[in-house]
Amino acid sequence: MSVIVTSQLTKVFPGDIRAVDGVDFEVAEGEIFGFLGPNGAGKTTTIKMMNTLIKPTSGTAVVTGFDVIKNPAEVRKNIGYVAQDVGVDEYATGRENLTLYGHFYRLDGRTIKRRVKEIFELVDLAGYEDKRVSTYSGGMRKRLDIAMGLIHQPKLIFLDEPTVGLDPQTRVHIWDYIHNLAKVMGVTIFLTTHYMEEADRLADRIAIIDLGKIIAMGTPDELKQAIGGDVVTLTPCESGDEACQEFLRQAQSALSGKPFVLGMQPTDDELAVYVNKGESAIPNIMRLLANEGIEVESLSVSRPSLDDVFLKYTGRTIRAQEGTATTYVQMQRKRDRR
Amino acid sequence: MNLLNDIRFQILRHLRTLFRIRVWIFINLVQSLIWLVLFTQVFDSLGASFAQLPGLENASYLQFFAPGVVVLTVLFGSAWAGMGLLQDIDMGVLSKMLATPVTRVSIISSRVIASMVMLVIQALIIFAIAVVMGVNIVTGVPGVLFAIVLISLLGLGFAAFSNGLALLFKRPEPLMGVINFVALPAVFLSSTMMPPELLPGWLDTVRYFNPVDYGVVGVRDLVLHGYIWSDLWRSTLVLGAWATAGIAFGTLMLRSRAE
Ligand SMILES: Nc1ncnc2c1ncn2[C@@H]1O[C@H](COP(=O)(O)OP(=O)(O)OP(=O)(O)O)[C@@H](O)[C@H]1O
Ligand SMILES: [Mg+2]
Repeated sequence: MSVIVTSQLTKVFPGDIRAVDGVDFEVAEGEIFGFLGPNGAGKTTTIKMMNTLIKPTSGTAVVTGFDVIKNPAEVRKNIGYVAQDVGVDEYATGRENLTLYGHFYRLDGRTIKRRVKEIFELVDLAGYEDKRVSTYSGGMRKRLDIAMGLIHQPKLIFLDEPTVGLDPQTRVHIWDYIHNLAKVMGVTIFLTTHYMEEADRLADRIAIIDLGKIIAMGTPDELKQAIGGDVVTLTPCESGDEACQEFLRQAQSALSGKPFVLGMQPTDDELAVYVNKGESAIPNIMRLLANEGIEVESLSVSRPSLDDVFLKYTGRTIRAQEGTATTYVQMQRKRDRR
Repeated sequence: MNLLNDIRFQILRHLRTLFRIRVWIFINLVQSLIWLVLFTQVFDSLGASFAQLPGLENASYLQFFAPGVVVLTVLFGSAWAGMGLLQDIDMGVLSKMLATPVTRVSIISSRVIASMVMLVIQALIIFAIAVVMGVNIVTGVPGVLFAIVLISLLGLGFAAFSNGLALLFKRPEPLMGVINFVALPAVFLSSTMMPPELLPGWLDTVRYFNPVDYGVVGVRDLVLHGYIWSDLWRSTLVLGAWATAGIAFGTLMLRSRAE
């Protein structure tokens, strides 16, 4: 059974901003479905249409069997939502936050007590129940935030970039919770992220979204196999200046049309060359470049990553945008709350 | 049933928060006390001649002004009520909440009622201080209860409009602007500071469009003159309509969030 089915789901914001532009996907029960895309791709907007916070401009979404436009109240009963930014009451304790949500989901007092105890253990916050949230660390807040989306044992949980801004250790911790939720407790999870590694490790299936459109969808392996073979990454120079661009252009033309090259994709300071077998391609590449007098700073061989998938379809890397992500995400977060 | 529970649990949350950030309650009370003491001192220096003015009927300015201060306490307290909701918006609490089955109406009404509870307590404190300072409330305890009903309706309206504007603006600066633009003029464009008989003609007309004036007239009747039912009925009806309009506005703003 499909827990989510969307059809041509679209959101156009004032000023003709097509934040989400006709997306179609299905999410099966018990599946972890990853929505991978760079900042501004339309991930949050898609989630907010499915959890009834905003109305689609056109298209439909059926979530846990109910249409989000015709029957939003039923949808809300069945889902949990963990927003991109932490949404906890700082002036209340962890227990007070969770208890209030228990009431919102119509649980009775005894059930709430029991669930609060279970959940604080689940997210590793036991002992902090009665401390004010204002004394929690960022990671603790995020875990409480996730706990609030789980109190009523929903069938489906939306996690919008659940590990942004967390240290690597906490991130791995949260990945474990998410994995267990789906695989042990059978909860369906819709997860957005702009971390490839997160999508790769957690998701059963991934949709890659860019500028409001789904550009590729499948299991992580399927997506990577579609690229085929290995990726040889050339870094002919260090900066993204004119000279460097010139180097890249020369390298590209030196290699183009050669039978062992399946495809190429340049970025600001790198050239990704897709080949069948990396080991045998390297000597060829070195020779061809040397003939043209091009010096290569460094060269590496790797299996295709989701970033290569993204690169192939968009000509950009998700990685390249992560450098500016922090400030951008903070800006974005402020807006998302409003 | 769900609605009542939602309101109850959220009122508890809001009262808890208000008590934990006591400073606002404190500031509002101190501000009212300053009004009471300062203005009474200033006008008392005018001496007995002041009490002879029409509309005062030999009452001291303290006696005249104390009901106004009770209304001011409620006005200033409730006008700022939307700031709490802004804090929820900023903490990301509101949008998360809207994705739960919580009844929409309860979000605004619980906030407004919680503000009211706090303000009624503050109003009672001001009443008590006024009595200690020598104000004689002619209708006694029942009159005070009636006064509480009137100022609750007044405050409900202001608190609900303030919450609605918070949802409309989504940020504190414009809300603070509107409050500053509205609250103090609302005091001066009413008979809070001066008896109606002493107001210029245009102002005496303007005050009929000002909900604050209906609160002041009603409460002052109860404190100074007794049960003047023509005034009291009019105040109750107008303030009831004012409160209803406020709640309707607030709920409408909340609904229009999901556009
Ligand atoms: N309320 C809004 N009004 C106008 N434009 C909006 C609004 N919300 C989002 N947008 C625009 O829609 C696009 C998609 O935004 P969205 O928040 O869905 O992206 P995202 O994939 O979640 O990005 P991020 O990784 O930064 O969270 C962006 O161009 C954004 O500027
Ligand atoms: Mg987002």
